[in-house]
Amino acid sequence: MTQGVPAEKKKAAARVETKTNGHKRFKSAQARVAVAAHQPLIVPGTTIKTGNSEEPMPPAPAIEKTPSLGEKRQVSFAQMLVFELRVRDAMTSPPITATATDSLRSIQNLMQAHRISGVPILTEDVLVGIVSIEDIINALDEGHINDPVEKWMSRKIVTLRDHFSLVRAVAEFDRHGYGRFPVLDANNRLVGVITRGDITVCLMHQLERRAEEAVAKEAALAATRAADEKAHRVVFNTHVKSGDFESAGKLSQRIREVLRARGIAPDILRRAAIIAYEAETNIIIHSIGGRITTAIDSVKIRIRAVDGGPGIENVDLAMQEGWSTAGPLARELGFGAGMGLPNIKRCADEFSIQSELGGGTRLQAAVFLHKVETKL
Amino acid sequence: MKLKTASKLPALLTVVEAQPLTDLAEVELKGCYISDLLSDVLANAQPGVLWVTIQIHRNVLSVASMKDITAVLFTCGRKPEPAVIAEAAEKGIMLLSTPLTTYETAGKLWKAGLR
Repeated sequence: MTQGVPAEKKKAAARVETKTNGHKRFKSAQARVAVAAHQPLIVPGTTIKTGNSEEPMPPAPAIEKTPSLGEKRQVSFAQMLVFELRVRDAMTSPPITATATDSLRSIQNLMQAHRISGVPILTEDVLVGIVSIEDIINALDEGHINDPVEKWMSRKIVTLRDHFSLVRAVAEFDRHGYGRFPVLDANNRLVGVITRGDITVCLMHQLERRAEEAVAKEAALAATRAADEKAHRVVFNTHVKSGDFESAGKLSQRIREVLRARGIAPDILRRAAIIAYEAETNIIIHSIGGRITTAIDSVKIRIRAVDGGPGIENVDLAMQEGWSTAGPLARELGFGAGMGLPNIKRCADEFSIQSELGGGTRLQAAVFLHKVETKL
Repeated sequence: MKLKTASKLPALLTVVEAQPLTDLAEVELKGCYISDLLSDVLANAQPGVLWVTIQIHRNVLSVASMKDITAVLFTCGRKPEPAVIAEAAEKGIMLLSTPLTTYETAGKLWKAGLR
C-alpha cells in the first residue's frame, strides 16, 4: 500500500515524478466557481469514451508485478483472476473521507493516522474532490496548510465503478498514471478507494484462498477414497435390456469374481450370484428394461434391481413357487419356472420388493458376507 | 470299486453312449441333477454334480458356473452352438452330448452307480 510521506521528507518527495489522481491545484476562477456551486466534475472511467461504446478488452495486466508467480500455470491462473474479480473485491471500503470545509492540516493528520496518500472530499455525501499527499506537501511548502480543503483540492476526478473487473482497473491505472481511484457504485455513491497495492493484496489473498480450497478438496477426495478402500467398497451399475437373454449371467459372473478375489466363502458367493442372476433374468423376461446397482463393501453385498415396468399385478402370487407369467420363448430357454423371486428371497439375508401394475418394480436384496450359511 | 469307477467322468461316457464336446478331465462326480428349468437348478442342484438337461442355451453355462457344476450332459442328441462350447471350455465346464432321452440317460446313470 502506498504510504503517507512524512512532512520532513517533503522536498525529496516533491521531486518524485509520480503522477497521482487529484494533484493539480485549481487556481483558476472557473474552478472556484465550480466549488461554490458544488458541481463535482466526476468523470467515471466508463464515460471517458462514449456511453455505449464497446471498449476493447484492456491488455493483460503486468502480472509479473504480482508476487510468487514463478510458474507459468500460476500466471495464467492470476490472469484469470483479474478478469473474474471486481473492483469491489479489492477496494478499501468504507473509504477514509473528509469534507470540503476541513483544513488541509486535518487531512495531513488523517493521512498520517491511516497511512494513506489520498483522501476523497465529500459535500453532503457527494464526491466533490480529492486531496493527495503531494497537495499536502505543497501546502506545507507554500504555507497554506491551514486553509480549507475546498480551496486547494483537485476537482477533476477520474473514478471507477465498483463492478469493473480488476483487469479494467489495472488498465485505468496504466492509462491515467494515478495512484488511486475513488470507487462509485451504480447510484454514484462513493463506496471505496482502490490503489494498485489493493489489487496486488487482493490477488494474493485470492490465490492463497484458492490454493487452500484446492488442497482441501484434494484432501476430501483422498479421504473418500481411503474410506471406500477401507470398507472395500465397490459399486457397479448394470443396464439390463428386455429380451437380452444372451447377456444374462455377466453381472453375476462379475460379482463372483469380486467376491472370490476377497476370499468370500463359496456358499455366500453363490447366493449373491444367484440373486443377481435371477434379478437380471426377471428384468430380461418380464420388463421393458431396467438397471441393477450392486454395492459390495466389507460387510455385505447389496443388489438393487429397478425396472421401468410394466409392474407385477400380484406380488404375493409372484412370490409363490411355480407361478410364472413368462412367455413361450423364455420357457423354451428354461426360464419361467416360477422360481425366480422365491430363489432370490431364499438366498437373501435381507429382501424387499415393491411393484405396481403400470409402474415399475423395485427389488432389493442383501447378503451378509461375514455370515457363513449353507442354504444352497 | 464299481461305484467309484462309475462316478468318474470319462468312464460314464460309454454308459450313456455320450460324445464329449469339450476336453474331459479325469474327475469324480459328486452326484447328478436333472432339470430343464434354470431356476430349479439354481435352487436345488449341488456343486460338483453332473447336470443332465435338454437346454443348450448359453444360460446353461451361467447357471452351471454359478453352481460350480462339473459337467453338463445334453440329451436327445442336442448340442449347443460352437460359441457356447468355446465359452464352456473357457469357464472350465465340461460338456457332453448323448443320443439317449433324459429318462434313458437317468436310468443308465443310476444303474451304473452314479448317485
